[in-house]
Amino acid sequence: MDRAVRWLFEPVPKGRVAAFRTLVYLFVAADLVIFTPWVRNHADIPGELYQPLLVGRLLPLPTPTPLLVHGLFWVLLVIALLAATGRAPRLLGWTVFALYFEWMVIAMSYGKVDHDRVGLLVALAALATVGRVRHGDPEPTEAGGWALRVTQIAVICTYFLAAWAKLRFGGIDWVTGSVLARAIIRRGTELADLIAGVPYLLILAQLGILVFELASPLIFVLPQRFRTWAVAFFYSFHLVTFATITISFMPHLIALAGFLPLEKARLVYRRRGQEERHERPVV
Amino acid sequence: METLSTRGRLTRLVATVVTGALLLAGTLWGQDDHFPFGPFRMYSTAPGPDDDAPDTRVEGVDTTGRTVVLTEANSGLRRAEIEGQQQAYVDNPARLAQVARAYAEKNPGATPLTEVRIVVRWAGVEDSRPTGTSHDQVIATWTAP
Repeated sequence: MDRAVRWLFEPVPKGRVAAFRTLVYLFVAADLVIFTPWVRNHADIPGELYQPLLVGRLLPLPTPTPLLVHGLFWVLLVIALLAATGRAPRLLGWTVFALYFEWMVIAMSYGKVDHDRVGLLVALAALATVGRVRHGDPEPTEAGGWALRVTQIAVICTYFLAAWAKLRFGGIDWVTGSVLARAIIRRGTELADLIAGVPYLLILAQLGILVFELASPLIFVLPQRFRTWAVAFFYSFHLVTFATITISFMPHLIALAGFLPLEKARLVYRRRGQEERHERPVV
Repeated sequence: METLSTRGRLTRLVATVVTGALLLAGTLWGQDDHFPFGPFRMYSTAPGPDDDAPDTRVEGVDTTGRTVVLTEANSGLRRAEIEGQQQAYVDNPARLAQVARAYAEKNPGATPLTEVRIVVRWAGVEDSRPTGTSHDQVIATWTAP
């Protein structure tokens, strides 16, 4: 028990949390404008087609109107960018979490729920609890360690519980079924068409996906050096998914960065900067 | 090192366990409606190796007789959203009038639609591979009164 708790609160450098936080809040802004701009289209849809999710009925959240959707878009955009600066981390953090959650309810209440958000939502909630952290600060923090750990757990849940859902809804026949053929017919690229032409390759891919998802929690017992390779493998899996059936899973990919020693990006950047300065001729 | 107080640890521990339990319960018994704790059911169904694959589209016909494919860009509704509410449209095709309304809202200058229909293109699948053949089936139609 003690070991599990120590693992859950394993300290990480504050600089890593700061880097992850900046990445996450910048992504929220980018998500609004670039990655899921279609949410704004719900402003013009008649309220009769709004089928609120359970959480929307319980709270109860209002039926979206053009004013609500466009107002939320602009307020969230500004607050996410402010939060990315690291100022007032708790106040702005909780505000971004609440507004982004409502944005997601608006996104998913018209008949289609996406499953790529849980890691990001957990990251948004957990980051709001961390408090002040500065870029480049090597001091270890338990609060920041917990925030990154629960984000990692949510990311791995997205894989592992997805395998579980496949067994629940599709059964073991999922492996030998035609789910990938179906995905390719609906949204496949030319690369996917090539792959689909090879006999049994799609079935092999289905088996591979299930095995990979079921084995994903093993990342937590890997030594750090191999863990980074495992994360690289996860990213490559999503790269292939995007190249074949154009599904990006972008919010999940951002949460996945919670596994990486992001503070090193700053060190490399600074070291390069210093080298360049040294190379300058002294006049 | 910055450490947490006992209370800080306990609160976080409880939040972790509760969230984990909700996610697990959602996976075991939940549905999409329970977002964000619903099951991660993307591509979780198991169509048989020879089951045809549905490829759904929504079409409108305007007063000039022109057929317009209704997309996320011109109606504000994603294809998957139409599919998610598909049974409601089949049971009550008059619901498609709302789609025509959404199209009119999004394209104020466009010729009004007099008909909206949901068409499923059934693509052939054999041995879990696409065969390249297909046929269309109209599953719901609304015509302006």
